[in-house]
Amino acid sequence: MSARRSLWLVVLLAAAGCASTAGLDVGYPEAGVNRSLLASSPARRVAIGPVTDRRTEARIGVELESKKDVVTRRPVTEIVREALALELGKNGHVVTSGATDVVLSAAVEEFWLDAISGYSNVHYVGKVAIALVLTDGRGGQRVFARRYVGIKRRLAEPDARDVPREVMDAALARAMHDVATDAELVRALTRLTTAAAR
Amino acid sequence: MRAVAVLLVLAVALSGCASSAPPRPAARPFDHVRQLAIVVSGESRFSVLEHRAEPGRTFDEVLKWGVLSPYQALLRPVAELVHKGVNWLLDVDRKADAAVDLGGIAPRSVVSAAFVQALEASARFDEIQIYAREPLGEDRRRAEAIVRISVPAWGLVRVREGEPDLVSAFADARAEMVAPGSGVALWEAAEDVTDPERLPLKSFTGDRDFTRQQLIDVLQRAGHRLASELLYARSAGR
Repeated sequence: MSARRSLWLVVLLAAAGCASTAGLDVGYPEAGVNRSLLASSPARRVAIGPVTDRRTEARIGVELESKKDVVTRRPVTEIVREALALELGKNGHVVTSGATDVVLSAAVEEFWLDAISGYSNVHYVGKVAIALVLTDGRGGQRVFARRYVGIKRRLAEPDARDVPREVMDAALARAMHDVATDAELVRALTRLTTAAAR
Repeated sequence: MRAVAVLLVLAVALSGCASSAPPRPAARPFDHVRQLAIVVSGESRFSVLEHRAEPGRTFDEVLKWGVLSPYQALLRPVAELVHKGVNWLLDVDRKADAAVDLGGIAPRSVVSAAFVQALEASARFDEIQIYAREPLGEDRRRAEAIVRISVPAWGLVRVREGEPDLVSAFADARAEMVAPGSGVALWEAAEDVTDPERLPLKSFTGDRDFTRQQLIDVLQRAGHRLASELLYARSAGR
């Protein structure tokens, strides 16, 4: 019995190990999300429409030494959808799949990590490009469209294991902060009230 | 007795959780600020950053030789200094190749102007004044906060290895908000900003006007980036 338990433990540990190397766990931690300019428009019921993947490759980079593909643990569309939902929710808007005031569609155009070898370090450049389109939930009319690009550069030791993920996290966060502080987007959300009230 | 022990453990654990919970942050110290003075400050250095392995690779290979292994720890700092020196010389050459004329515009002025433009668009501030040096007298007294903007480095940076390598315009910009009088730091940010466009170095060295526009674009992007982070840090006030 004890031997069987030990065997299970080994299997579980091995599985956990595999999971940790299956890809970069890129994300947008909720703890870092602020109420910001996006909260200054009236609260809206927002449906996050399809988040499409317009990239030409499924991988997000290539490992420097091994030349193996670098991938994310979750699909990039899921990562972006989650980040948008967190940002909208934190700013007082209601993310819903029911009756909505506005539909937010997103396309991931780039989600890429470059690693450039230097003498004693590696220069990482992470880039996230997301195109957003806002359409009126009632008439389906496009009310706003803009592309947001977050880029992060960082020099690191070659064996700094967390840096690739941190660079991509930072690139995503910069794109999201630009969304949350976009005065034009806030105006589009505010104007929606006027249109709906007519 | 066992139940008492369990309760004790639970009590200790709970008290530990309670004491380790971070206190809820109060309103940010610059939420009330409506009048800003922006001061353009610091020196800017133009450079072409390539982060290449070549100059140091030979030294790195030497360090891998078995005969030197006992001295590796000693030699590495020296090797890095040599590498930096070589790269600096390369830098000087390339800086001349990609020399650009911004028509007398200082990088920090472009960043500051874009920063002000983005803050004004947010309608979060009643008055934003921009100064080439520290404001004095009434100007200083009127400002509820002073934001000092600097651009320590800007130029071109290699962002992708390949044939050819690709480079982008970059600007490393900093902003520090302080309370006038007390000098208390209210907010600060350091942003490494990179232009989204990636091109071979020849595209820059062969077309001065294009390079100039790319550099101005990335400086403006840096100003917007700093403004975005300031607005993000400031609460909505709703």
